[in-house]
Amino acid sequence: MVVSLERENSLVRFLRWIYAGLERTIFMGLKFTIPGRFVSPLGFLGMLTFVLFIILGITGALLMLFYEPELDRAWKSVQTINDVIPYGFHIRNIHYHASNAMVMLALLHMYYQYFSGRYKIRNEILWVTGIILGVLTILEAFTGYDIIFSERAELAISIAASLTNSIPILGPQMRDAFFGGGFHDFVLRFYAFHVFFLPIFLLGLMVVHFPRFLVFDVPMVMAISGAIMLTGGVFPVDLGTRFDPSTPPGITVPEWYLTGLYAFLRTMYDKFVTGVAWPGLFIFALLVIPFVDRYKKFSWKDRPLITAIGITSIAQIIVTTYWGFYIDPDIKKALLERLVIDPIFFYLVMLLLVPLSFGFTYMMIKLAKNAEANAKLKPKKPGGKSSINLPQKWIYIIFIVLLAFQVYLNISAYYAVLNGMKNLSLFIIGIIMLVFAGMFHIYRHGRSMAKAPPPQARPSVPPTTAKPSPLPPKPAATVPSTTERPLSPPPIQKSTASQSSSQTSQSRQTSRGSLPGETKASNADSVPSTTKERDS
Amino acid sequence: MTQQTPPNRGGKVSRRDFLKLMAAAGTVMTFVPFVDWGKFLPNPAGNVSARAKVELPNGTQANAKTFPVNSSQAVIYPKTGDIALDKESFRTWQFIRLPEELGGNKNDVSAFRMYSMVCLHLWCLWKYWPDPGRKRGECPCHGSMYDPLTGQAFAGPASLQAPPSNVLARLDLELDNDENLWIKPPNWSPNGNGIVGYGRFLRT
Repeated sequence: MVVSLERENSLVRFLRWIYAGLERTIFMGLKFTIPGRFVSPLGFLGMLTFVLFIILGITGALLMLFYEPELDRAWKSVQTINDVIPYGFHIRNIHYHASNAMVMLALLHMYYQYFSGRYKIRNEILWVTGIILGVLTILEAFTGYDIIFSERAELAISIAASLTNSIPILGPQMRDAFFGGGFHDFVLRFYAFHVFFLPIFLLGLMVVHFPRFLVFDVPMVMAISGAIMLTGGVFPVDLGTRFDPSTPPGITVPEWYLTGLYAFLRTMYDKFVTGVAWPGLFIFALLVIPFVDRYKKFSWKDRPLITAIGITSIAQIIVTTYWGFYIDPDIKKALLERLVIDPIFFYLVMLLLVPLSFGFTYMMIKLAKNAEANAKLKPKKPGGKSSINLPQKWIYIIFIVLLAFQVYLNISAYYAVLNGMKNLSLFIIGIIMLVFAGMFHIYRHGRSMAKAPPPQARPSVPPTTAKPSPLPPKPAATVPSTTERPLSPPPIQKSTASQSSSQTSQSRQTSRGSLPGETKASNADSVPSTTKERDS
Repeated sequence: MTQQTPPNRGGKVSRRDFLKLMAAAGTVMTFVPFVDWGKFLPNPAGNVSARAKVELPNGTQANAKTFPVNSSQAVIYPKTGDIALDKESFRTWQFIRLPEELGGNKNDVSAFRMYSMVCLHLWCLWKYWPDPGRKRGECPCHGSMYDPLTGQAFAGPASLQAPPSNVLARLDLELDNDENLWIKPPNWSPNGNGIVGYGRFLRT
């Protein structure tokens, strides 16, 4: 019953052999950590985005088995997937909601890196590839919801095609290349882009984009997957109406990441300016911002202008996204009248958001600095962060209760599927994932408690670590023990060339200074077994 | 650790390297014109070099003697024989014989028009309405209206679009000795027959 890597059987030896062989591969260049305690997900949003990309790849590949990229059949095949194919509903919903989550997480990831100032000083390549990745992600999501070929998809395709066509000089050629001639070509081409061209570009760019320090937090990944399924259960994605060129369509708006663009288009101003130039300008500004940002400091509080620009962009994104969704509900008015946004009003609001956001940023920085000054004046609390200390007995009890709940959920999900309640089963599977995340977290907590040394008086945390330090972005969050932190070398000093040697020295250090075993374990993850042997 | 000055880059290309570069660039430049760049991606299915019949939905060829004045039919062009492809909006054309006041009773080509049925606004299929007082193309989706004489949108959202996106793509027709109607080989460009779904510049 007990699976242990301590016992040497042939399987373990085989796994060890594979692990040793991996030393020659690119994977050993990455410092890959599974955190031993809760760390803020803000630090590894990029990894979460990547996990979603993998989920999308798997579910997408499963959908490819049944989807037919053909004008007449596309919508019907999606309907078959949704209604007839076993688990097709689940897979389609996970695919759809994961795509939304991926765009959302990519945005959050970008803004976190932006405000924490990590995008500059030697990270420019990461930032620039990240922006391109973000644009491609949105294109990927866009081509995805177009190939259903519902009314809404046709609307999106026709707008995209006319925008491409509106680009001066190259536009018509690009339109011919990307869209072909006619609906039949569009569906087939968008399918090709969606399942091959764009993912291949994304993967290639990800190779460049990956930093050397990666965090794979099992509970957080589980929680995100659970949240996606939960959303899929509560808000299952609909099929839309099949596109019929001779019947008037209802009013539809695009997906939420494009409604901002849609709001600009609805001002009925020139297509190229509103649909290509403005978003292009926005992307260009994002691309060059690390080279424009000349502040020596990293914190958002110390870079007022850059922070204000970021806040402005967020405000404008929110306002335009909402505006794109809003359509005058008065059905007595003409359709055009309901759709068109008054450009003067629209652009005035956009302009007004600039001073408002700058003022807001100024206020926030002022408040934050005040709070900082107040914190310095007051005597520090001895404990620093408060922590929940569960007795061991309670950990066991909670774990058993969660396990029982898990069993119950599994049974209910099973019966939900049997009874054809697809939403409910998806919803319950989402909860199963969430509960698993909680269980894993408690398990991790219990394990770290078992390995922790007996409680001792902690030295107060030096103030430098409290600030968001720019240099070690991810490992700072993952190095678990606070007492030993000053001893361990900052990971950024390691260059690729001297990595193995510095890792050896690090593990020597850990063996000399008696660390809690947990740190050792996380180090042992990254140090090849040969060095460990040499060390001991 | 002493700071080392970076090696001086730029301005130092040896003659050998320069010649190598020139040779490589020359080789590439020699072969570039022979590669048919960018011809792979556009779909050549729309290119037709011979004239084609105006084939009505009942399978007969349209004839100037029999086709009624102030009426219209949907015609598939270019016809492939593939059921799915022939249902495609982008191959659907509106074949119109103009009403009498616009010269529809003449027995020559000027009485006939053939426009792409794909509305220039959002690609629904518009249709010609011969009712008295209407006599225009109307799109059911957002109400764009088209002038049957020129194919120009005069009302609705399509009329607000900048040229060439306010004039429908059209096909040129010709009559043979039996007064059967034929479609001339098209030139799919905004200055020629226009582009289906995107429009055409109106020649004045």
